[in-house]
Amino acid sequence: MASGSSAAARRLLLLRHRRRHLVPNHHFSSSSADEVLDGGRVKIFDRDLKRRHRDRAAWAMRETDPLVDAVADNLLDRLEDCRKAFPSALCLGGSAGAVRRSLRGRGGIEKLTMMDMSVDMVNKWRELESATDDGPEMNFIVGDEEYLPMKENSQDLIMSCLGLHWTNDLPGAMIQCRLALKPDGLFLAAILGGETLKELRIACTIAQMEREGGISPRMSPLAQVRDAGNLLSRAGFALPGVDVDRYTVKYNSALELVEHLRAMAETNALFQRSHILKRDTALATAAIYQSMFGLEDGTIPATFQVIYMTGWKEHSSQQKPKRRGSATVSFGDIRKQFGSNQD
Amino acid sequence: RTMRRTTALLLRHGGGGIPQALADVLVCPLSKKPLRYCEASGSLVSDAVGMSFPIVDGIPCLLPKDGKLLEDHQRESGHETSSRDSSD
Repeated sequence: MASGSSAAARRLLLLRHRRRHLVPNHHFSSSSADEVLDGGRVKIFDRDLKRRHRDRAAWAMRETDPLVDAVADNLLDRLEDCRKAFPSALCLGGSAGAVRRSLRGRGGIEKLTMMDMSVDMVNKWRELESATDDGPEMNFIVGDEEYLPMKENSQDLIMSCLGLHWTNDLPGAMIQCRLALKPDGLFLAAILGGETLKELRIACTIAQMEREGGISPRMSPLAQVRDAGNLLSRAGFALPGVDVDRYTVKYNSALELVEHLRAMAETNALFQRSHILKRDTALATAAIYQSMFGLEDGTIPATFQVIYMTGWKEHSSQQKPKRRGSATVSFGDIRKQFGSNQD
Repeated sequence: RTMRRTTALLLRHGGGGIPQALADVLVCPLSKKPLRYCEASGSLVSDAVGMSFPIVDGIPCLLPKDGKLLEDHQRESGHETSSRDSSD
């Protein structure tokens, strides 16, 4: 979540190796201030920039990623808790590749559609898919979660693994998911929560205050746990469920952390981001991170908070509470009835 | 009815189109109305908003940004004219 700092971190590495050549500045800036307002709606994230991040992640990502795989596996675990099978499933952006890897026949999926904003990412998935023959029938589309191109009542399951926290209109995206689901269809999502990368957030802020006398948004705002339940019910899902998991990943240096963020396409995509990161601010950030949070073995920990959300599309078969005072039989009568049967 | 027409066209087209399973579930990302497969341009056309979405290498690209506004004579409902873009 710090695109500027990643470029600086790369420079830092080069400095260490005492090599002297110019590093291309990895800036992906296309936004202008007048794009922030789109039909009265506030845009927080630069979706075009995020798309390019995902293009980059398509080649930067590793074969397996322990953090992402753990999240995908945890998410898919929830399918085993349902007796229902989900013949048609849609998997939205984020770490859909990891979802595909960890699926292993769970959920009775027969047709799996994978969607992402990035053409490169989708092509990468398709390449990997052609290597394995078994598994569900696969389809690929390029699309945006904010403009879901899915017919109403067409899917049994919609999954999103670490992708929805980059949408400008999260409730809107979730409502579109609900509409695309068949009645009694399941919505499963994992998003990053507000505790994520708190160490980097603190180190960045202190370094900026120290060196520049002010701060700029280096990190994106993330949903809090208490918001997740509200989001589900606001989107109209029945039987909402939210739970939280926290993962701590150890890195050798701040540089490694930033490289990992890039490989996951989780770098800063705020519209109001600062396009410049001074070298000494980046160095200070790395130093502060190391001194404040560094562990005895020289590694630095980074926290990732993941919020898992489950919700169902309404269906008459789902359990609901009865209206208060609607009972017609008293518990006393029930006891009498069963008592007489036993005699 | 339009959806069935899309399917029929896709079947006839064979390799150039998109898989049947996708044709059944895809709609226009902006209007959520059915899409029509246009054989001439090899793209998916949304008549409701007058836009065409490309199919690249068998993968439909349904991002609003990737869509092109159709020219007047190609549109069924002709309002909101734009000379900026055209579907070739």
